[in-house]
Amino acid sequence: MSTRNRLRSLFTLMVLNGVIPIRTQPLYVVNLLASPLSFLFFIYIVSRGHLLLYGILGGMILTILSVGTSLQSDLTHYRHDLKFQDVVVASPVEAPTYIAGMALSELVYSLPALAVFVVLFVYEGWATPFTTVVVTGVLLLVWGFASAFAFTLATYFQDVRETFLFSPIISLVLTVLPPVYYPISALPAWAQVAARFSPTTYAAGLVQGAVGLAPLSFSEGLIDWFVLGAFTAALFLIAAFKARWRDP
Amino acid sequence: MDSAIHAEHLRKVYPHAPPGVAALEDLTLDVPKGRIYGLIGRNGAGKTTFVRIAATQLEYTSGTIEVLGLDVGREARRVRASIACIPQESRPLYFLNVDEVVYLYLKMRGLDPRDARRRTNDALAELSLTEYAKRSVQRLSGGLRRRVLCAMVLASDADVLFLDEPTTGLDPLARREVWEAIRRTSREHRTLLLTTHYLDEAEALSARLALVEEGRLMLEGTPADLRARVRYPYRVTVQAPFPEEELRSYGRVSRIEGGYLVFAREQDARELARLALERGARLSMGPVSLEDIFLEVVGRSIEEDTANSRAEEAESEYA
Repeated sequence: MSTRNRLRSLFTLMVLNGVIPIRTQPLYVVNLLASPLSFLFFIYIVSRGHLLLYGILGGMILTILSVGTSLQSDLTHYRHDLKFQDVVVASPVEAPTYIAGMALSELVYSLPALAVFVVLFVYEGWATPFTTVVVTGVLLLVWGFASAFAFTLATYFQDVRETFLFSPIISLVLTVLPPVYYPISALPAWAQVAARFSPTTYAAGLVQGAVGLAPLSFSEGLIDWFVLGAFTAALFLIAAFKARWRDP
Repeated sequence: MDSAIHAEHLRKVYPHAPPGVAALEDLTLDVPKGRIYGLIGRNGAGKTTFVRIAATQLEYTSGTIEVLGLDVGREARRVRASIACIPQESRPLYFLNVDEVVYLYLKMRGLDPRDARRRTNDALAELSLTEYAKRSVQRLSGGLRRRVLCAMVLASDADVLFLDEPTTGLDPLARREVWEAIRRTSREHRTLLLTTHYLDEAEALSARLALVEEGRLMLEGTPADLRARVRYPYRVTVQAPFPEEELRSYGRVSRIEGGYLVFAREQDARELARLALERGARLSMGPVSLEDIFLEVVGRSIEEDTANSRAEEAESEYA
């Protein structure tokens, strides 16, 4: 398949799963707005406003992570209930194009929620060329590993109900336990060590450091970028070698 | 014979199948290019397993299989550029309109928008779906949804098309429309591998047929070849009281409502027909149907599930 045709496939998948469902059911957008905004509201009330700024940055990360959760459900549903993955496999569309197209489509759903957080980000006076590059880079890596992880899991699930089982666990491990909505210093020492196993800890550390919410030295920043990149690369490799495009 | 699909000693054992149960066993098959090839067999006989392997959706355990001369195991990417498939039990994405299902599928395959639009309109017209073009798939009956999938795949630019039970759930009129579209596609020198439960469909469409039972190839050839290979190639129904013992001397006898069904060789069938007419009995005579051949070879009706479905149960357990 030529690069031009690959791009055509990718954008077709984005329209097919991202734009058209919103046209037929706009509540999808509200659904993806609800979770990060309600989390932000909760953090604001509990911390009496002290952690609002952390909540704005955490909301951005959670919004992008939700792409992975939705992707996992959609891919599982399409694979088992509609046999859509089999239709795609028996076509010139390659697995990376399919995942990228579907991941882009999920990003379309999350754009309104992301827009709310971007407005708050700008309102707080954080928007500089440096912070924009850092936040964009971090969110792209989060989107990448969440999508790769979602695709791999989706090819192993037997039924869409299994995704309902895993999604809260994944959310817990990636957004609640790691210091996405609060500074890492708020965690007890043992929890800080445990949080280091989650890629979102590094994502949050980078964005919190970039806007000056949490101290982050140059060397710490480099380590965070390296670890976040390594997590993403590892999940891409797992997707490439372990995801089941062709059933065994 | 130039092959579109060539399988040799193909074997498939699903990961969690009971010991000794193979979904396909030593299957050797040649599907000629540019023809409609029918794969028939009962539920669980191995038809879908074969289609999924050839369509690069499923790995195989041993043997070899090529599509258009390309190895399905090693050159899957190149095979995929030339194929399209309607999987068994597949459904179109429910939030799309009918024309979006076809158009977006073609664009996803890399067709340019103008070509995709033209092919979409042609396919919808061919399958009498134009009036539903802007209707949401959600609002269609099961049969119409299946027709939309047929339109989607037949509109593609693929050289080899896999249709796994494409007409399940269609009414007789719609089935015939799909048949006509399939025939037209075949006239474009494309190859269609069709699996079906409906033996009349297989017979009406296929230039060649393969009968699969418990993962093994039982019979293969043109419908005429298949008839020539059974012991009794003619059937005579006699609607009158007749001594059963006498009928047995002509061939294999079964009781039917109001008379007998006799399977016989051509000479015996003619003799029996002459005798029955002399005695004033109502009769009909003709070559055996595919259903009769199936019953003779397999010994059971196509509606009965096979023991081999255990292997496919293992598949659904794991897949």
